[in-house]
Amino acid sequence: MIRYCQADAPFIPARHQPALVLDYARSRDVPETVLVRGTGLLLADVPAAGDTLSPRAYLQLLANVGASLASPDTSFMLGQQMLPGHYGAVSHALLHAQNLRQALGTLVAWQSRLCPLLSPRWREEGGLAVLYWTDPFGAPGQLPFLVEMHMTAVVAMCRWLGGQRLPWRFCFNRCAPRQREQHEVHLGPALQFDCHLDAMLIDAALLDQPWPRGNATAAAVALADIAHEAQAQAPALLAALYDYLLEHIRCGPTLEGSAAAFGTSAATFKRHLARHGTHFQAELDQVRTHVALYLFQMRRYDNEAAAAYLGFHDATNFRRSFKRWTGQTPSLLRSGLA
Amino acid sequence: MLKLHRSTLVLCAILALLIFALFAGAGVAKPLHAWDWMDIASEGGTTLLAGCWLVMLLGSRPGGLVTRWLSGGLAAIMLGNWADLLDEFFKMGRDQYVNHWLEALVAVGMVTVTVGMYFWRHEQAHLNQHLEKRERLFRDHRAFDRITQLADANYLRRQIRLERQRNPGQACAVALLDIDGFHLINRTFGQREGDRALQAVGHMLLLNLRSDDLLCRYAGDRFAVLMPATSEVDAASRAQHLCAMVRQMRHHAGAVPVPLTLRHASAPADAAPDVVLRQLNRAMAPA
Repeated sequence: MIRYCQADAPFIPARHQPALVLDYARSRDVPETVLVRGTGLLLADVPAAGDTLSPRAYLQLLANVGASLASPDTSFMLGQQMLPGHYGAVSHALLHAQNLRQALGTLVAWQSRLCPLLSPRWREEGGLAVLYWTDPFGAPGQLPFLVEMHMTAVVAMCRWLGGQRLPWRFCFNRCAPRQREQHEVHLGPALQFDCHLDAMLIDAALLDQPWPRGNATAAAVALADIAHEAQAQAPALLAALYDYLLEHIRCGPTLEGSAAAFGTSAATFKRHLARHGTHFQAELDQVRTHVALYLFQMRRYDNEAAAAYLGFHDATNFRRSFKRWTGQTPSLLRSGLA
Repeated sequence: MLKLHRSTLVLCAILALLIFALFAGAGVAKPLHAWDWMDIASEGGTTLLAGCWLVMLLGSRPGGLVTRWLSGGLAAIMLGNWADLLDEFFKMGRDQYVNHWLEALVAVGMVTVTVGMYFWRHEQAHLNQHLEKRERLFRDHRAFDRITQLADANYLRRQIRLERQRNPGQACAVALLDIDGFHLINRTFGQREGDRALQAVGHMLLLNLRSDDLLCRYAGDRFAVLMPATSEVDAASRAQHLCAMVRQMRHHAGAVPVPLTLRHASAPADAAPDVVLRQLNRAMAPA
């Protein structure tokens, strides 16, 4: 049975990411009462040691700060200080990562600690490494904000620890913003919008370039310290479902089958998904879109091959479905991505 | 801001109460049927509005000469109308001229406000001179960044467009300036020190611009300078000069010296602002 946690489960220590957000908001003179509205946080300089927040409350906190400052750079500024952060041993492990590969590995493995609101996923093939982000707790309205924040966090961390700006390329699952200066300055000039995927691409050769602060022993010790906690936190519902769907994507996964794998009835599962602002078909379509994009981009598949891989009868059917998922035909999208 | 002027507001309230006491004590209450509702509404409304103006004015201005004149005038207008309003409820004896004198406050107040406006013009002229390099003949208070008090990239784009419309044939250049290793200042000393560094660089750049130039905070640690009537070569040398001036600064975080250096890119603003800026940003990227 697959373990999962939901958006109202309080597991984010208030002294971790939320404390950084509070600190930033205070430095920008956000009124305290506005700041903590709807989050259940108490008005204190530093949150108490044992306090935890649910993802929903943390999302609310970010929404409060964003709305109160109404400044286009809020998400980027919050991202600048998010990683490696001060989240205990796992932050130490990041700090002493020997190279990009190890840092990203730690980030993905410890996402519930390091970036609980957005799931990082990592693929490497044909000399290209892709770090892409999915929404684990269902916050579609806040997704652009979260994506900007988390991408900035990774870029800023790698720039600091690696000692140089890395030549990332960025894809965004959104239309081009009217002003892109924040993206240009905080992320870089290689930006692409309307991509159906929030991803950061980089030459795989850079993954193993040694980082000046790298310290194999320190990183290993830090991770060994918390190894026993690795299984303590169940993954987020939508992240776990994504993993499950990705694994079974070629066998036509169904709502009933997935519910059984998660150990609930189909009706309960549906309700859980609805509470996260989504439904089974939307999640399935998202995974299939991502797989199709991966096949086009990394494996250079054509429609026939992608259709066969995803279990469609023929390319025409696949083409029609793809258009329904993304609003674009595969060939159009392919030419856009090239 | 309002807290600053608490004593003024308290004084106004006391005066209003005194006037009320005067009317209640010396006058005779008029019967209800003698009330002129039209007058009550208009005089009451004027009193209320003048009071609002007073509060709004005090809420948005620091103390000083101009504030004293303007607020004194508005207070007089309010109190004069207040006396006029009370006149509708209380009948004063024929021999008591005090209510007429009180009503004359309105006229006095108007003269006072006018004098205040005159000084305000002077003040504004000084402020305009101060803001010249930040805003250039167009005001939009929403476009200003809270940390550096400089206009944002959107404002820059609008100004590029305006400049090209006003002087179509004339050369005009844009330069971008980026602080080297700014993220290290944030990491080492914290974001507040980072903000201070931004402010310091902003000030230094402003001091070294011509009065026609416009300085904006493009985004993050990237500044932009719009230089009207400037050739590409000139712009590059001016940008170099700005970098040299910033390099000369001795900025400190606490007692620790923080060397600040800039890198720059400049280009003629001869195309759509988005195109020019995108090209410049690409030129900034590799460092």
